[in-house]
Amino acid sequence: MVVRKRSFIKTFLFWFFIALVIIFVAYPFAYMVSVSFRYDSDAFDPGLIPENPTLSQYAQLLGLEESIRQEMSNEEEQLIKLLESFPEEQRAQILQNIQSQRRRESFPFLRWFGNSLLLAGLSALTSLIIGIFGAYSFSRVWYPGRNLIQRGVLLVYLVGGVILSVPLYDLFVRMGLTNSGGTSMFSLYIIYVIQTLPVSMYMLGNYFRTIPESIEEAALIDGSTRIGTIMRIIIPLSMPAIITVFIYSFMIGWNEYLFASIFIRPYPVSYTLPVGLREIFFSEHAVWAKMMAASVLTAVPVIVLFMTVEKYLTAGLTAGGVKE
Amino acid sequence: MQRFRELSPLRKKEAVFGWRLVSPAVILIGIFILYPVLYNIYLSFFQVSLTPGVPNKFVGFQNYRELLTDPTFWNSFGITMLFVLITVVGSILVGLGVALLMNKEFPGRGIVRALILFPYVAPVISTVFAWQYVLMPLNGPLTILLSNLGIMDVTQDLVNNPNNAFLVVSFYSIWKNFPFIYLMILSRLQSISQDYYEAADIDGANGWQKFHHITLPELYYVIGSLVLLRGIWNFYKFEEVYLLSKEARTLPIYLYEKAFTGLPELGVAAAIATVLFIVMMVLISIYVRKVLKW
Repeated sequence: MVVRKRSFIKTFLFWFFIALVIIFVAYPFAYMVSVSFRYDSDAFDPGLIPENPTLSQYAQLLGLEESIRQEMSNEEEQLIKLLESFPEEQRAQILQNIQSQRRRESFPFLRWFGNSLLLAGLSALTSLIIGIFGAYSFSRVWYPGRNLIQRGVLLVYLVGGVILSVPLYDLFVRMGLTNSGGTSMFSLYIIYVIQTLPVSMYMLGNYFRTIPESIEEAALIDGSTRIGTIMRIIIPLSMPAIITVFIYSFMIGWNEYLFASIFIRPYPVSYTLPVGLREIFFSEHAVWAKMMAASVLTAVPVIVLFMTVEKYLTAGLTAGGVKE
Repeated sequence: MQRFRELSPLRKKEAVFGWRLVSPAVILIGIFILYPVLYNIYLSFFQVSLTPGVPNKFVGFQNYRELLTDPTFWNSFGITMLFVLITVVGSILVGLGVALLMNKEFPGRGIVRALILFPYVAPVISTVFAWQYVLMPLNGPLTILLSNLGIMDVTQDLVNNPNNAFLVVSFYSIWKNFPFIYLMILSRLQSISQDYYEAADIDGANGWQKFHHITLPELYYVIGSLVLLRGIWNFYKFEEVYLLSKEARTLPIYLYEKAFTGLPELGVAAAIATVLFIVMMVLISIYVRKVLKW
């Protein structure tokens, strides 16, 4: 359909609505980016264009520049030297105060970024690998109980994270997988894998069915093994779906807050971005510029990933439907 | 269904192969999804202890009694229903409108299409901070704009006001999720044959008639499925609600606070989860039969 040129009002209304959509979508992003280039003290200056633009928020987050908070820690170091003459008990008490203060004030953005990247990346990869074989199995191989598995996958699609939070927490506590930062991250890894597995299998299964079986049969006649045909035929032909599934699984891990907050709250070194940023946000005041810079840095990798594979994504998404 | 014993050797080999491929997924889903769902129901009848060595205490239906007589629970229940209703209707209307706009060709369409995906793609935590910034009382640019238009008072903290927090969260959820709906509807729109519209043109149909008699019926099942999916997802929605405003007291947030903050009452939380699950299942089965006619 083309906009009819003879009607001026129609054309005007059309562009008016397009502008409305753009404003609706971009409004908060515009402020997020704008404020991230300001000093904390200018965070609420009116207008979208910063008057004194600065890159210092980004430099501080990326560890290229010392933040005020790190400078304060030098004073604390001097305090610790003074403490050496204090009696043992008193010293322990003051040290603990300093440590809890430090924990509240430190903003190890890169560390949290790395944690999130590791957790979301590894769990998405695992879910993809298990999902490819599982989906191949129920979309291509016949066996008793196949329909049950197929329907079961659709059914677990309907179980949300909130429903599972209590029993999974209880389960992991009993298995002793919550008593350190490392084991808690491992618990999260397992949880992210199972949260994305049903949708990976469902989407991949739908896609595999669109690949003609005759291609596979030809390879089998030429002497390829079943696993060989999956590796050499199914996987290369399914790249759009595989990329979509990976990105979606990655995004689920990158966004996840519920389980992360339950499992790693006591271990700041293991924080993922959502948990870390939220803790920082509620522990300090007037750090808007830094929060916005952190928000931009959190969003950029995912947005870039999406935009580079947009055409695959739209195809894969509409073919399979997704879970979040 | 044929039994395994009765299969030919070749088919037996095939079946074993299939089972082997799918078993890691089945085992994981069994241990970490199916078992927890059942275990959750079991826990809802106990006073759960997380201290090692202290066993759970069986309390029968007491957790449920406590819940069903708790006005906060019913309040949360109502808010959840309203939240789901507003977000499903809102995001479908916005998504449909935008899809109809984007179905027309215009210069710059590629850029606008990419931009529309931003809210859906950007992490919840980033967009939540951005909305909290623009809605800050006194200083937030959107607060100032709205108060200049006479819609609200500049001192009001929209986000953290328990009375309307769920409305702010609903608006945010529509903003965040309409691109998903837009994508699905757009891909269906593009597969509708142009012949229908040409035939309607010859019959002298106007734009509304074409939309009402051709476009809408073609979109019926897509929209029907989208209502189901968004309904389920928003019913369970935690991150988007909790991170923007704890004051939007939907059931998942009530559950979270019962289970993981202050004195943990895991038994009561398990009862909430069970109720959520049952309500969800009932709603889904009614919907699937009445609307989707499966």
